[in-house]
Amino acid sequence: MGYVAVKGGTEAIEASLDRLKYDRLKGEEIVEIKTILATMRPLVDQVMSEASLYAPFLAALAIKQAGGSMEEAVFLLRAHRSTLPRYYYSETVDTEDMFVERRISASFKDIPGGQLLGSTNDYTHRLLDFNLVNEKKEENQAWLQEFQERMCDDVADKELQFFPKVVDYLREEGLFERYPLDDTPPKDITKQSIQFPTGRSERLQVLTRGQTGAVTSLGYASLRGYGQVHPTIGEVRVGNVPIHVQHPYEEESDPDDLFYIGDVKLTEVESFVPVNVKKQNQKEELEFEIGYGISFGQNETKAIAMSILDQCLENPHGEFPTHDEEFVLLHIDSVESTGFISHLKLPHYVTFQSKLDSARQVKKGGNNK
Amino acid sequence: MKRKQRTEILIQDGGVLAKELAEMVTQSYKFREIEEPHYGLTMIKMRETAKKSLFYLGEALVTEAKVEVHQSIGIGIVIGMEEELAKHLAIIDAAYRAELPETMEWEEKLEVAAEKIFQQKERQQAEILKTKVNFETMEV
Repeated sequence: MGYVAVKGGTEAIEASLDRLKYDRLKGEEIVEIKTILATMRPLVDQVMSEASLYAPFLAALAIKQAGGSMEEAVFLLRAHRSTLPRYYYSETVDTEDMFVERRISASFKDIPGGQLLGSTNDYTHRLLDFNLVNEKKEENQAWLQEFQERMCDDVADKELQFFPKVVDYLREEGLFERYPLDDTPPKDITKQSIQFPTGRSERLQVLTRGQTGAVTSLGYASLRGYGQVHPTIGEVRVGNVPIHVQHPYEEESDPDDLFYIGDVKLTEVESFVPVNVKKQNQKEELEFEIGYGISFGQNETKAIAMSILDQCLENPHGEFPTHDEEFVLLHIDSVESTGFISHLKLPHYVTFQSKLDSARQVKKGGNNK
Repeated sequence: MKRKQRTEILIQDGGVLAKELAEMVTQSYKFREIEEPHYGLTMIKMRETAKKSLFYLGEALVTEAKVEVHQSIGIGIVIGMEEELAKHLAIIDAAYRAELPETMEWEEKLEVAAEKIFQQKERQQAEILKTKVNFETMEV
């Protein structure tokens, strides 16, 4: 059999691109970037998190261009990121500096500083709100005004609060192990492909940019018995953290001479996982370990699932796929998984013909017997 | 005022004060754009709280600008697509590096802006604190 190179798709591809544009425009409606930014922030956050690029405007543009397709929007933003030079590395971000908008614990009701519900869908009825079908700007403005008036009282002269970590109190009680600061320079998976076994920094970087659905599913699988981690949430916090960078040319490193470059919004989760530890006297004692999850923007489900997977991967176990770092880390990236699945629809004429040839040969051989 | 505090005020102020201060410089001194405002990335380094180790969270889009004022080079960096603000920050940075006398007069303006920003944050936090839960233990 001879292989034949084919051509002739150029015009069809151009017509297909026109068709794609037609499908986006035929409704004769334009969704503005500012509308996406103002009304679909969780979607923007999810695209930024999976693309591993904090750029709300570009994420909203990607959503518009992709017509709302998550995988396409993430692909667009990841591709754009690859065209940009990296100028700086930030100083180490500490989430104790977070301006907290939401902070809850499932482990204790009385956490120092209190539980702040902030903005969440958790307590909504999940009934479709048909009032939104004919939403009116005037009514919204009236609600906003009334809301702001309600908020104006008892504000004066209050100190800004920065909230301590729940786990720090448990560490003081000796219930959790204290770790010294580990300043080992992190590896960067965008500069070097991961090699197994991975380091902790590589695992956390892959998990935090993982596809929300994939990370959530594998975290859920672990809870259901395909893993050995079932945590209690110690703390979920959502808010803005300040980002600082050093001057690129100044040698002195006075912390007061850093550049503040802005804030990024994050969701951070610490999960408490009970483990039995064998002590020197051979007796088992119950201790706790922490699973860590974090995500750009507000994406609590993903951050909680990440904290489960973090703990799974810290404790490899051959019996459970969610404790297998190769299984987890190589299958949760949005661009890699959707790219590989979608490549299956591209022409495979030669390889498939080869398989057909093999099948024909086998059948022919069988008939000859 | 040191750079960290200064840049925090100028960025959180939203750019109005940065524009005013930068224009004071460009009206009185020669100013050259070394690099026009352009986009790039900053990789965010985090410390996780489980084992206190470091890792990279992901990148943030930044706008950077470089200018020269009075033989001093200034840099402006800000998260987002903020060409004007990056340029103004660079001019102000150069003015401080050149120790221009105007910078002495800016302290008061920066402090007034800082107080305004602080009050906005107080208000914002007071609003968030309205969602604080007051648990009451129920008798069963």
